[in-house]
Amino acid sequence: MITIEKLTKYYGSNRAVNNISFTINDNEILGFLGPNGAGKSTTMNMIAGYLPMSAGKVTILGSDISKEPVAAKKNIGYLPEIPPVYPDMRVKEYLSFCAGLKRIRYSERKDEISRVMGLLKIEDVKDKLIKNLSKGYKQRVGFAQALLGDPKFLILDEPTVGLDPNQVIEVRNIIKDLKKDHSVIFSSHILSEVSAVCDRVVIINKGDIKAIDTIENLEKKLGGSLTLHIKIKGDRTKASNIIELTNGVQEILSIDAEGNDFFSFAVKLKEGEGDGVKNAIMAELMKYGIQISEIYSEKPDLEAVFVEMINKPDDKHGLLDLLNGTAPVNETGEPDGDEEPGEDDTDEKEDDE
Amino acid sequence: MFSIYKKELQSFFYTPFAYIMTALFMFLFTLMFNNALGNIDHPVFQFTFPDIFYNVIFFFIFLIPILTMRTFADERKFGTEVLLMTSPVSVIKIILGKYLANLTVFLFMIAGSSVFPIFTHLHGTLIMNQLICAYIGFFAWGAMFIAVGMLVSSFTENSIIAAVIGEIIMFVFLFIDDFSRTDFIMQYPKLQSFLYAFAAQPRFAYFSQGFIRLSDLVFFLSAIIICLSWNYIAIERRRWKRG
Repeated sequence: MITIEKLTKYYGSNRAVNNISFTINDNEILGFLGPNGAGKSTTMNMIAGYLPMSAGKVTILGSDISKEPVAAKKNIGYLPEIPPVYPDMRVKEYLSFCAGLKRIRYSERKDEISRVMGLLKIEDVKDKLIKNLSKGYKQRVGFAQALLGDPKFLILDEPTVGLDPNQVIEVRNIIKDLKKDHSVIFSSHILSEVSAVCDRVVIINKGDIKAIDTIENLEKKLGGSLTLHIKIKGDRTKASNIIELTNGVQEILSIDAEGNDFFSFAVKLKEGEGDGVKNAIMAELMKYGIQISEIYSEKPDLEAVFVEMINKPDDKHGLLDLLNGTAPVNETGEPDGDEEPGEDDTDEKEDDE
Repeated sequence: MFSIYKKELQSFFYTPFAYIMTALFMFLFTLMFNNALGNIDHPVFQFTFPDIFYNVIFFFIFLIPILTMRTFADERKFGTEVLLMTSPVSVIKIILGKYLANLTVFLFMIAGSSVFPIFTHLHGTLIMNQLICAYIGFFAWGAMFIAVGMLVSSFTENSIIAAVIGEIIMFVFLFIDDFSRTDFIMQYPKLQSFLYAFAAQPRFAYFSQGFIRLSDLVFFLSAIIICLSWNYIAIERRRWKRG
């Protein structure tokens, strides 16, 4: 188990990671989700022991990474954002060097190297110079390096970037297979990937944790409400009146005109409502002679969860606001592209989420 | 540590790098050797290897930084520093592994130069003890400069800059001797002796005359230790403040 307690990282006066805590359980795939510059790589670098933390603690199987780095690092395989490969080495040489670094016994090295090469299907390039490999192969060589020595924990920073769709699926399958006797923490800004592979998700933005939960729970928590899409032929005002007045409808999100007399409605239902409302609307519309050409309900997907989570106002407020009881509900900042979030809310108090 | 040592050696010897360096070194040595031979006007044919070494050192200032410039700069450039830092190997062992590898290439270069004494021995007589002392001095000098070059390499991710700064520092080490003997510095005897203490050249001169003085060995050894420790601090410091 990896325990992360109150991890904080400052770059100068910029706070890249702010007081985050979570655990990675055994045999679990934890997704680490956030926009660019959210502090994902910084956090992973700290967990892997590359960057020292400004405050906080990372414990890997009982050994503190900053106090017993060698013992802690033995249990970690790390694939950074840029695969750490030497362009002038051959794949086999490189892996044998890494095996040496990880103190794999000389007698076991050969088997171990062929095992990881088989796993990532890089046997056919084993005698090539790494600089001549494509991005996808380099990525896989870097991944192979992380798997050497069969470490208990794997930290993968965007492992599928630069791979073709086929390879993406292969890598995902490898990660799923690893679950049997490993824990994986893997970062991504691609939602479908996280939802396809991970057991739990940590959503992070601007150095703050926005949510830690399973994907199902997140979906439930955020929008228990379904969205109903209705396409009708007939009078638009009449239809919208009917829909609005039906019990269980929260609001009409949008109305789009589609050609002659056709209108598409997107209707947000109240929480917990579902087919009953759908049927009621259908019955009402038909009663007033409005033809329904299409009707379906839609669950909120992870994408919506993600966007909402990231743009969610912070639970922390200025001290004054707290005292006056007028905590602001703003901060819908766009995820920005730069690597170090330039937040200057250092004097804000934080409540645990 | 051994795997880092091995990897560094591979990067020198699997590429033409070490061979070209050695060839260049041999070429310089040949020029000096030929000069020495050509200048013989004494009826007893005589020249000294220490003198040749002495001249070669000047060119060595350009060679050593080229040898060491990539040591840490390239690790940063290719992002492979992460690999080293996250593997269960301590930073000290990483530094030592790399230092020993550089030292090995340096020994390889020196070994090439042994052709000339052997050649001389075949056709004349050698003063063995002086030659051995000169080699020891030369080695100590090179070992110190390698440590300096590695230190500089850990400051930057541009290997060319590392080489140039390394050369400047080595020039300072070489010319501090002459500088401390200028009239201006001579006015301040304390400053003079302080500067002179840093001069590596006169220490080599002792070696080349066949003296192995403890103080000289201590000088070179402590310079190496200081540079390598500083190297360690520089790497750790950058990890802490990186941003």
